[in-house]
Amino acid sequence: MKRHLSVLVVAGWGLLNGVLLAVLAVYGESAMVFWLWGGVVVLLELAAVAVLASSRLGPDQHVRYRVPDRAAGAVVPAAFGFLLVALAFVYGAWLLALAGPLLLVAVALAVRGTTAREE
Amino acid sequence: MTVAPPTAKEGTGGRPVPPSGWLAWVTSTDHKRIGVLTIATSLVLFLVMGTFALTMRAQLAQPEQHLVSTELYNQLFTIHGSGMIYMVVTPFAIGMGVYLVPLQIGAPGIAIPRLTLLGYWLYALGALVMLAGFATPGGAHADGWFSYPPMADSVHSPGAGSDLWIAGVFLATTGTIVMGWAVLWTGLRKRTHGMTMLRLPVFSWSMIATCLMVIGAFPALLAALGLLAVGRANPAIFEANVWNIGYQHLFWFYGHPVVYVMFFPYLAAVSEVLAVFSGRRFFGYRGTVLSLLVFAGLSMSVWGHHMFATGQATNDYYSLTSIALLVPAGVEYFAMIGTILGGRLRLGPPMLFALAFIPQFLIGGLTGIMLGTPVIDYHVTDSYFVVAHLHYVLFAGSAFGLFAAVYFWFPKVTGVMLGDRAGRLHFWLLVIGTNVTFLPMFALGYLGMPRRVSAYASFEGFGWLNLLSSVGAAFLAASVLVFAVNVLWTLRRRTLGSAERAPDDPWGGHTLEWATTSPPPRLNFTPDHPVPPVTSFAPLLDQRQRREEGAAAGDGSRP
Repeated sequence: MKRHLSVLVVAGWGLLNGVLLAVLAVYGESAMVFWLWGGVVVLLELAAVAVLASSRLGPDQHVRYRVPDRAAGAVVPAAFGFLLVALAFVYGAWLLALAGPLLLVAVALAVRGTTAREE
Repeated sequence: MTVAPPTAKEGTGGRPVPPSGWLAWVTSTDHKRIGVLTIATSLVLFLVMGTFALTMRAQLAQPEQHLVSTELYNQLFTIHGSGMIYMVVTPFAIGMGVYLVPLQIGAPGIAIPRLTLLGYWLYALGALVMLAGFATPGGAHADGWFSYPPMADSVHSPGAGSDLWIAGVFLATTGTIVMGWAVLWTGLRKRTHGMTMLRLPVFSWSMIATCLMVIGAFPALLAALGLLAVGRANPAIFEANVWNIGYQHLFWFYGHPVVYVMFFPYLAAVSEVLAVFSGRRFFGYRGTVLSLLVFAGLSMSVWGHHMFATGQATNDYYSLTSIALLVPAGVEYFAMIGTILGGRLRLGPPMLFALAFIPQFLIGGLTGIMLGTPVIDYHVTDSYFVVAHLHYVLFAGSAFGLFAAVYFWFPKVTGVMLGDRAGRLHFWLLVIGTNVTFLPMFALGYLGMPRRVSAYASFEGFGWLNLLSSVGAAFLAASVLVFAVNVLWTLRRRTLGSAERAPDDPWGGHTLEWATTSPPPRLNFTPDHPVPPVTSFAPLLDQRQRREEGAAAGDGSRP
């Protein structure tokens, strides 16, 4: 029980949302609201499943950690690539022609594992 | 028992850069750097948004003033509201989680660090995109922070400013969701040996509850923005009322929980400060943890109270759940007051801000219950009463928690102490400014002054209350100026080597971050500063008490 308290927190919180949604159903609301909130309850239970899978694969508490650092150099080009994708909504699809190569650079940096190494 | 230090980080083989260089900062996967970047960005934006607020208060200080045009005024209140909520108070809260949660749970880093860094960049770029609206020919977006269609469609709000607002808020919210996932996963799955869930500090619990709301509610904002974008491409969509109301449901499904996202971390920061500066263990820990989770759950169910006046929401249900919020809120207030009662209070700047939070947030909370009651809401909806309420929640409440957190954790983050006298001056100016600015707004709203008006006629009788409010805003400006000078001056003195050095634990803290150096090393804990035994949610207090008991027993055994 204590080992899986983290799972219970997420699953229980999702369930609380489900209970509140059920009470709303008694009062009545538009169908869209049930799809919206019901979808969130499903999402939260999926998150609980992910936590459960993780806690079955590893310890609940750690004494040794992996601190990944590789490929951090890909983050900034990726962010600017997403920025151009968002701006394409405002200024036109031609910006996707710039976003595409930038995102490809980010992928290449991620695959190579490039990052700035602090001395 | 001590815990072995974490393993060294992986070799990266990348380009070598100096640790303090800009490239090391912008590509760092160190959660502390990402946290500092997030917090610093939100503080800079706080100054920008505050300038917009001052311009609005100058405009409203007298009847029939036209310091800025109506069009610009609409842009100012829209970007002020959007900026404060999407780009300042929410990211600051998540940034605190990114910085503090790994330290508080004894971990050397955050989960998914590269995605966390991506989250920061999406947030920062989103803020720039939103502000870029001012540089467009039609100006920035001007339909308020919730931007209801059909007002926000391309017929009624033409121009690129509104599109940039959508793109910017979408990017920033996506970044916040990513950072929220990282903090949540860290709290749930990266705890050190001995750190069970029921030994998590109150702040870390608050971040878990906060991030559950982030992952549950924030995607609804992305959906709302997507709907608005589609509607701007094809305005015929918003000719059907179902999509106008549908937008409001999507928006407020995000828009109410975000208030708690902007509240829980600050409430928890206040709780940590109250316990440390009272010299007592936090009172009612388990009740507070449970109430945080119930509070967060209920917060997902109350969004319809923002739609009472539409006549198209189930008012009975939303009113019931809104009033039910009083129960977990009461538990948390009871715990905070129980913590300070009987304590040996030290009234340093963090404690002053924490103490002021309690009554001021209460005003915001109780007026929220009033607004959650349809009969009152019908009278004051879209009036300055609502403006006063939300500013008592987010400024008189959350901002005081924010400043309590800044004064409390500044020594840990920077390694130097923030000026005490300037901190006290900042506090008193802020208390005066907050209450003189926002208290008259309740009366203005009750008397019928609508929100979002750029001017009012002198015969309406709103003049002296608005003047009072604007005088208060001047106090707020002075207080923030004192704060900014204090921070910049302290950092400058740190560079010159003349600032007061912060010890590892300047306040007698209770939680693990105070066990490491100030500032903490790259992997948080070292063999010289290992993670101490985790015996409760206040492990450092336990350690001190054990030492004192041991010393007392040693004294008693002497002949």
